[in-house]
Amino acid sequence: MSQSADEPGAGIKSAELAALRAQLLELQEKVAELSARAAPVDRLSMVVFSGSLDRQLAAFLIATAAAASGMEVVMFFTFWGLGALRDPSKRVKKTLRERLFGVMLPRGTRTLPLSQLNLGGLGPRLVRYIMAEQRVASLEELIDLAGELNVQIYACDMSRALLGIKMEELISYPHLGACGAATFVERAAGGKVSLFL
Amino acid sequence: MPIVELARAAKQCAAGEHLEIVATDPAFPEDVKAWCRKMSYELVSLHSADGEYRAVVGKTRRNP
Repeated sequence: MSQSADEPGAGIKSAELAALRAQLLELQEKVAELSARAAPVDRLSMVVFSGSLDRQLAAFLIATAAAASGMEVVMFFTFWGLGALRDPSKRVKKTLRERLFGVMLPRGTRTLPLSQLNLGGLGPRLVRYIMAEQRVASLEELIDLAGELNVQIYACDMSRALLGIKMEELISYPHLGACGAATFVERAAGGKVSLFL
Repeated sequence: MPIVELARAAKQCAAGEHLEIVATDPAFPEDVKAWCRKMSYELVSLHSADGEYRAVVGKTRRNP
């Protein structure tokens, strides 16, 4: 009785099994394809284009907040943004044109203007004074903090060549590197959030 | 930077431990809620008194 019930059942099972096997193969292929595409990483990528104190502050405040919230953070410094990374105590050999650019660009965070209400340098001094009074971290402290939180900083190769900024004159930052736009785009494409400052 | 301080202190904690944060930053209440959601920490309590915020955050076994 149980045998006669089992036999037709077993027949169906083997037909089903073949179908399932085909389905399984199909699914395996799909999974492989999807995992090759890779889900976006919990990463914040930022282009830091502006060389003003207010925008640099915004960039580093967001970067440190993201890093403190467990995100991987990559900052790509390009054009005027690079001025903030210069170390005024480091001197390097330059051509005349590079030197001219060097004189016109800010030498480090202490010489950054405000993007608005600069008032001939009074603006940034006022902002720094108010921030200190309210016990908000200064830009210099935020950069140190970013280093502690493993925020990666890249100096754009093309901008450096254009503005004549050498890696040797940039601040001693623990996670500082140089890269091109394509490298940054590739990293940003794999992340969840991208910002331009 | 209370959130950065919180993140730093939380790293030193063991699972099951509670951490109390006192901050004056007006953004802190919303920030600490967001941080706990993002990091899957438990927000045990959040109070404010005399312009000060006190939050207690609990670390669970899921947290890094």
